Amino acid sequence: MSYDTVVIGAGLAGLTAALRLTEHGQRVLVVARGVGATHLAPATVDVLGYLGETRVETPASSLATLVAGSRDHPYAHIEAHQLAAALAWFSTRAGARGYVGGLEENLLLPTALGVPKPSALAPRTMSGGDLRAGGRFVFVGFKGFKDFHPTLIADNLVRARLPAAVAARALELELPAGRRVDMSGRVIAGQFDTEKLSEWLIAALENRVEPDERIGVPAVLGLRRADETWQELETRLDRKVFEVSTLPPSIPGIRLFDALANELRAGGTRIVLGVRAVGARTNGERIEAVDVANATGTISHATDAVVLASGGFASGGLELDSFGATHETVFDLPLIGVPDTDRVRFAPAYFDAQPLSAAGVGTDDLLRPVDASGQPVYANLHAAGAILGGAVPWKEKSGTGISVATGYAAAGAILAPAAQAVSEAVR
Amino acid sequence: MATQNTSMSSLEADVLVIGGGSTGVGVARDAALRGFSTVLVERRDLADGTTGRFHGLLHSGGRYAVKDPSAARECIAENRILRVTAADCVEDTGGLFVSTPWDDPEYGDLFLEGCKATGVPAEEIPVAEALRREPRVNPDIRRAFLVPDAALDPWKLVWGCARSAEEHGARILPYHKVLGLEVDGDRVVGAHVRSERSGEEFAIRATVVVNAAGAWAGQIAKLAHCTVNVRAGMGLMIAMNHRLVHTCVNRCKRPADGDILLPLRTACVIGTTDVFVPDPDETEIRQADIDLLLDEGEKLVPGFRQARALHAWAGVRPLFEDTTEVAETRDVTRSHALLDHSAREGVAGFLTITGGKTTTFRLMAEAAVDAACEQLGGLRPCSTADVPLAGSESHTLYQIGHRLAAREPVPQSEEIICECELITRGRLEDTIKQSDTTSLDDIRRLLRLAMGPCQGGFCIYRAAGILHQGGNVDREGANRTLLDFLEERWKGVHPILHGDQLRQARLDDWIFQGILDVEHLPV
Repeated sequence: MSYDTVVIGAGLAGLTAALRLTEHGQRVLVVARGVGATHLAPATVDVLGYLGETRVETPASSLATLVAGSRDHPYAHIEAHQLAAALAWFSTRAGARGYVGGLEENLLLPTALGVPKPSALAPRTMSGGDLRAGGRFVFVGFKGFKDFHPTLIADNLVRARLPAAVAARALELELPAGRRVDMSGRVIAGQFDTEKLSEWLIAALENRVEPDERIGVPAVLGLRRADETWQELETRLDRKVFEVSTLPPSIPGIRLFDALANELRAGGTRIVLGVRAVGARTNGERIEAVDVANATGTISHATDAVVLASGGFASGGLELDSFGATHETVFDLPLIGVPDTDRVRFAPAYFDAQPLSAAGVGTDDLLRPVDASGQPVYANLHAAGAILGGAVPWKEKSGTGISVATGYAAAGAILAPAAQAVSEAVR
Repeated sequence: MATQNTSMSSLEADVLVIGGGSTGVGVARDAALRGFSTVLVERRDLADGTTGRFHGLLHSGGRYAVKDPSAARECIAENRILRVTAADCVEDTGGLFVSTPWDDPEYGDLFLEGCKATGVPAEEIPVAEALRREPRVNPDIRRAFLVPDAALDPWKLVWGCARSAEEHGARILPYHKVLGLEVDGDRVVGAHVRSERSGEEFAIRATVVVNAAGAWAGQIAKLAHCTVNVRAGMGLMIAMNHRLVHTCVNRCKRPADGDILLPLRTACVIGTTDVFVPDPDETEIRQADIDLLLDEGEKLVPGFRQARALHAWAGVRPLFEDTTEVAETRDVTRSHALLDHSAREGVAGFLTITGGKTTTFRLMAEAAVDAACEQLGGLRPCSTADVPLAGSESHTLYQIGHRLAAREPVPQSEEIICECELITRGRLEDTIKQSDTTSLDDIRRLLRLAMGPCQGGFCIYRAAGILHQGGNVDREGANRTLLDFLEERWKGVHPILHGDQLRQARLDDWIFQGILDVEHLPV
């Protein structure tokens, strides 16, 4: 069995790359240790939220400033039109159907602490929470759901720095009798899907919400039918309703994963979770096969190209050992942004710049990991997502944006020679 | 420990205790049990100093059997008492002394002799038997000895003492800092204190003032122009994410660095080091000491460096010395010192109790209150060797898994706020109400909330929301204590961050910065 491309990692970057390749008719295999950060992140696409301390209003223009100041940043390898194309492509995938936004303006969506957070794209079920125009908001929590605290959200939001005045209040609803206590977001989402919890929610809210209030609920409106449930709530309550992301697992993130994975499978791509890429067979210049360890042994998958989207430290793509050495865990690639072993890796204050935080692989403009001299380590290995060095995604609010952009671009780099070959053959 | 809202423009007591560590609350409890009116002040939270930062070993005395026989005798006597009176704070893990390939096996003979001479029960067992008990311990150990070491929960101990003291009428005042001692002629007659929460300043008058400030005792003594030479011996500890051992495992050799590994609830702790520090409030964790503990851990449990290190912290031992010519802190006596300043400096009504160790805190308290009795009109008998602490009335020893056992029959009866430590919403809300706290870090110590593998990644957002909703803190207060918690946690996390715990820390970064955006909270 031989593949056109093996994708290592099933997070947003890996799924994006795999889907674009699949759509171009490639035979693709996705291998991963497990699901990726989709199950953790809020499912928005955050391209660039902060430049230093400054909140970014227009990512399109702020990106130029970012890459001018940081030549190693993943966005430095992505052309502006490529980024725009990546977002446009992403918004039209079935999994991301109904995403709202773009590169011209960041939405400002409330977090579960009531902080306005900038995002370039958001699912329709969330975009109604955009705070930029101000207005009146009511945040609705469910008693017994510990991962959402509407009073704190409302209290913080009214003091947040916003372009227009916001009024906010909190409502806490008793879930219908007979429910389990201590329901996780997943369980509540399941009940929205199967038991029409929306009927209860509509009845509970009908007389308690002012006509001009927008309604924020925890992002648990369902795993399979969330769009329909959200639509129904908006229609029948005749108000804007929006989901607010909270602690993992991220229900909107799971929805996104499921949708992208379904599209991949429909296109004939296999996704194998619970396995570990452990190395490669190479001819020195190219990877010829990827070795994948499963519970019983190691299988070698022959392939023409590889996308490494194994994630950063959080996902195990990078590792810091107890002696202070940092490694890329699949191919032991050279890394950038790693402080010398005798230098501090972590600043003593949590919110200070952390020396190790931008560690990762450095690449050329085709997103191929490079060595210290700037030469690609393998001609057919491309990297995408959180494995890339040079960014501090959770501070910049850029993680999902980097994943979509580099996943799309890595696929593009793999497809480009093939496209050339095709055109040559035609000629 | 509810902060009273009533004004405390002045308080009067027979005994004023300064310091809310194990010694201080032990003194307060002992004095209250003997019928003295008692007030205790602590500048921060109870057990915030040395007690809450020790490794958690209830010594059998084995560690001191060779080089400090009197300390060994005290330890085994107190060990037996605390198993009964503080049963809820003690897990009967047992202790093993093992000779690794780096240790002279002949020390084992000295060890057995020392134990015999000091009355510490010790029994040599076959290596195979030791490895059956503790399969992760280095298979190359050459000898193994069983002793009655145990694990001691310092917070439960301190809160149990404090509650007992309160039940007997004592006033326990955490977050009250002593600004000055009131001296009338040649007597200390009280203290001037400030509430660190309300800012209110007031006087506490007392017949006897007991300085139980541990490593800070010299600073307190100075306020009465007395001299107490306590040096701070900093010891580093690292908590690992699960129980690599179920028995307290010691190296069988002269006490040195990194030679104890003990189970503590769901984690285990390796300790410790011993470095003089000039200021007990300045405890910097050095990479070299971390590496030393990891390397020593590797000798006891091969693979230790690949295990997951959760948290590192340093505590300061109060090491009393009457001379200044001491080079190595391990050579300073571990026995306690009771100083009557009327005999030493002619200052009446003022005692200092310092040195010692948590295992012998009760004995230290007894000695201090015996001495106080002399100034309060005659000896009254001590009952702390017999009367159980609050929470230990049933004399049932703590067992790992009891919280889970209590939850299992009714798994869905209540929300679990901290999954790592199985803390329910009810317990959290009760604790917030009873302690009247505004601080997530206090809650951490009171409940062990956020002490598990995720180090608060999930429960701290929940706890902040619940604290805010309960009305104890306003928005600013909730945001401030959340940010303070993250900073405080980071202090113990960043020095040992590697391997899987770095993955966890990155997940937490994603939660707090990526999802919640805490760094842009309005404060």
